[in-house]
Amino acid sequence: MPVPFIMPKFDMDQEKATIISWEKHEGDTVRMDETVLTVETDKVSMEVPCPADGVLAGIKYQNGDTVPVTTVIAYVLKPGETVADLPRDKIPASAPKPEVAPPPLAEVSAAAVASVAATPVAVRMAKEEGVDLAKVQASGNRITREDVEHYLVEKVKPAGRVAVAATPAARRVARERDIPLEAVAGSGPRGRVQAADVAAFQSPHQPIFVSGDARPADVVPLIGIRQRIAERMQSSFQELPHIALTIEVDVTELEAARRRLNELAMKQSHGKVSMTALLVKITAWALKRNPYVNSSLVGDQIHLWRDVNIGIATALDEGLIVPVIRQANEKSIRQIVDALDNLTSRARDGKLTLADVQQGTFTISNLGMFGIRQFRAIINPPESAILAVGTMIRKPVVINERDEVAVRPSMTLTLSADHRVIDGVVAARFLNDLMLAIETPETLLY
Amino acid sequence: MPEMTYLEAIRQALWDEMKRDERVFLIGEDIGRYGGAFGLTHGMLDEFGPERVRETPISEPTIVGAALGAALVGMRPVAEMMFMDFTLLTLDQLGNQAAKVRFMFGGKATAPMVIRMPGGSGTGAAAQHSQSLESLLMHIPGLKVVNPSTPYDAKGLMLSSIRDPNPVCFIEHKLLYKTKGEVPEGDYTVPIGVSEVKRQGRDLTIVANNVMVVRTLKVAEKLAGEGIEVEVIDPRTMRPMDTETIIESVCKTGRLLVIHEACQTGGWAGEVIAAITGSRAFDYLDAPARRLAGKDIPIPYNRALERAAVPQEEDIEREIRAIASGQY
Repeated sequence: MPVPFIMPKFDMDQEKATIISWEKHEGDTVRMDETVLTVETDKVSMEVPCPADGVLAGIKYQNGDTVPVTTVIAYVLKPGETVADLPRDKIPASAPKPEVAPPPLAEVSAAAVASVAATPVAVRMAKEEGVDLAKVQASGNRITREDVEHYLVEKVKPAGRVAVAATPAARRVARERDIPLEAVAGSGPRGRVQAADVAAFQSPHQPIFVSGDARPADVVPLIGIRQRIAERMQSSFQELPHIALTIEVDVTELEAARRRLNELAMKQSHGKVSMTALLVKITAWALKRNPYVNSSLVGDQIHLWRDVNIGIATALDEGLIVPVIRQANEKSIRQIVDALDNLTSRARDGKLTLADVQQGTFTISNLGMFGIRQFRAIINPPESAILAVGTMIRKPVVINERDEVAVRPSMTLTLSADHRVIDGVVAARFLNDLMLAIETPETLLY
Repeated sequence: MPEMTYLEAIRQALWDEMKRDERVFLIGEDIGRYGGAFGLTHGMLDEFGPERVRETPISEPTIVGAALGAALVGMRPVAEMMFMDFTLLTLDQLGNQAAKVRFMFGGKATAPMVIRMPGGSGTGAAAQHSQSLESLLMHIPGLKVVNPSTPYDAKGLMLSSIRDPNPVCFIEHKLLYKTKGEVPEGDYTVPIGVSEVKRQGRDLTIVANNVMVVRTLKVAEKLAGEGIEVEVIDPRTMRPMDTETIIESVCKTGRLLVIHEACQTGGWAGEVIAAITGSRAFDYLDAPARRLAGKDIPIPYNRALERAAVPQEEDIEREIRAIASGQY
């Protein structure tokens, strides 16, 4: 039998509601709990969830209609059912006549519970406990007694009073020194924060130098993006055991490839292909081959991310920002160039959204344009590694087994890795993959 | 200062006070010619005569009832329970009558009496002669409960107890009778309701009574060599208890362990911990407050099991190490 879809009762004293809009339409496939329509009472507007999986059919009321609560407004057809299975009823397919009196309260609740798939015990319990079954989540295809009990428990369960396990003494010290307990790493059993942990904590909010130093200085408050950078860098460097490995790569072939790609881009009047774009492409390829480098340590689990989202450290006047190229491994060089152009121009205009800087899985930091030969970067948590790219210089190198020397463009790549997750060999393999793809770019075609 | 045993210190207090105050007399089983089950009243019959060292039939209710009657008419009786366990026979005389009279007669009648009770295990005396019932007595308003751990405290507290206008349960531990310590000659008192820090330390506050004080101090000395500094507080009086000293100490150390021989369930360690967590010391607790108590069983006769039933030095050491190394 098709599942009747009633106008739900949200409030104790609510008698009717007005349909604002149907989000789903006659014949649409609907899923349980999915929003099907929005209604408005004299107090609020509410989204009405679907009572079952199936196909929406027999819609009786339209946008703007005001309907008494518990009235059947539509049906959900279950697999194998058709419109022919809909019960014939006497309610006209228009707004109810004003003289239709709302049914007595007892019938209302009976009708309300009957319209939701529930076991008889669950229906009785719901009545006794005054629970609106429409609000109860079914664990199976019907609401059971356990579901009602679960609902009752969840309803009364207070939100946790404390977010961080800490001893009373630790809480007092944190209070006295204005240190956020969430920022303190606990050394006690099960990570409980103890007084000594708080005492040893160097709050990023607290200047390392004592206040009252009277030497003339321009004082910049540590706020906003600067404060966030300070906190993240400090916690990353303190909590993540960093290892750093450096490799030197010959860029001759990659530069040649870049020239050819740019000739192509010019012909099609596309933007120029930057070295960064090529590095993003190559890095994404190498990350796919070395999943641990593209991971996060979350609690006691290592999440090897399926997506490769590469952040590009970008300097702004206010500080550093890391816009993210999502699913870089799925993108062509052309798409990466466009994404980079888009992100950097929006970053300069201060128009990046939160989504642009979130969910990175790896970061590239390039200081080559400043002539930096080589440097070590601090990992951008919760990522596990970061690649620091040095400047390209032309220098004499031995190019073959006969010890012949030639001048070649070369640069250094330094990987900082969280040693808890990434072994030295894993980091080395990743760098070797990068070297292979940079020195032999057609590897990516292979 | 002369050295004497815990037992001698109590005897000296009784002796001196009987000399000083004619109203003081002793009453109990076998306390005359035999000198009491532990010899504590040895020689007192000859000195003070049968009027003031009164022997009774084997009836503890009679002893406490008679003592209460005498106290009500102005005497200062010191009654002896041969073993603390037998106090259970006297709960009506003690708990329903002696503890209540001062309140029920609006202070017009008082019961200035002392009931001495040797408690504790460790002598192979089995379940009916080895109990530690201080928690049970502490629960009855109107009774004071004292339990000294040193000869000095024993003499000073006995004099305070006899002079107190309320019924005082004076708990002696059998294993302490032969322990020695310095005891001043003459009259001095240790006030009821004042605890004492027996050892200073910065890492952990331990509250322990009677023989557990002795054991804890030994362990504390050993661990001090390893840099674990334990503060040991002897409440001396179980009721009224001087919690302020414990609060002060916990504010300093941030950790609390309560040790008693009495069974854990319903034991006074819970009372101390509740007093601490409910006080300003709460904000100084840097680890869960813990207790180490006797097992919830009748004391076994078997020596090995008897030993295992109550905290020993090795148990105390293990617990302190666990707390000091942050295991809880």
